[in-house]
Amino acid sequence: MMEYLLLGIGGALGSITRYKLGKIITEKSNTSYPIGTFIINITGAVLLGILSSINANKNVYILLGDGFLGAYTTFSTFMYEGFNLFQENEKMNAFVYILSTLILGIIGYTIGLRIGILFI
Amino acid sequence: MVIFKITQRGDEIQISYNLTKLNIINGGYVMRKYIFIAFGGATGAILRFIIKSIQIHNYNGNIPLNTLIINVAGSFLLSMILTIALEVWELDIDLRLGIATGFLGAFTTFSTLCKETVILMQKGFYFSALSYVTISVILGLFFAYFGIILAREVISKIVKDENNTEYEGEME
Repeated sequence: MMEYLLLGIGGALGSITRYKLGKIITEKSNTSYPIGTFIINITGAVLLGILSSINANKNVYILLGDGFLGAYTTFSTFMYEGFNLFQENEKMNAFVYILSTLILGIIGYTIGLRIGILFI
Repeated sequence: MVIFKITQRGDEIQISYNLTKLNIINGGYVMRKYIFIAFGGATGAILRFIIKSIQIHNYNGNIPLNTLIINVAGSFLLSMILTIALEVWELDIDLRLGIATGFLGAFTTFSTLCKETVILMQKGFYFSALSYVTISVILGLFFAYFGIILAREVISKIVKDENNTEYEGEME
């Protein structure tokens, strides 16, 4: 029961942060490239890397990792935007968007692991 | 902006309030959006956690199937619901945000995908790591496409047919 409460709080805050931050980034940029989701997903991967390497206790990990960061980052919007770029005939942009998000996300998580070690 | 309307029918005077517009004035309208996103996000995160902890019977592969299924299913539903909301039926904006940005945004996850990929690489399963990412994206894109097509071709026709029947009824 405690787990679900933590997930609920983390998930609610993560979603609102994604919505709010996405809106601010989109308003400030004037590109067709979905830069909001891009920044959100990569920062989320770095933060999950940090959290995973600091040996946080189980409840903290459920709240921040599965709850907040799981909800803050998103795969469905990433795919929807990627597919829309393909459809709007911006095939090169779609390709760059998807590939750069994946590569930087994976590198970002690894960098996060290294940063986390510094805190122990 | 119409906040309330007074209508007179014979001796009867009716006063009706527009609650949505009233909410704009006291700030409630702005709050409503966040309540929907928060509720959707909480539900999405809990459901993801439950599905992630299900043991798939007889599956011994390296690829994290649970997250794969969550992400692909979420991509399908998001594309379908957004296409319906933007092209077929006009859905309440706050409700759309609650379902799409809140629930499906939180249900699917990118950070876990990165974590699982790195764990596979750390174990030396480079081929599994590459397959996992590739399959996630290919199926994710395909199901996003499928969701959009289903909304446009099937659901929009059902809605149109219903409207046509009603229209014919009125003509008679």
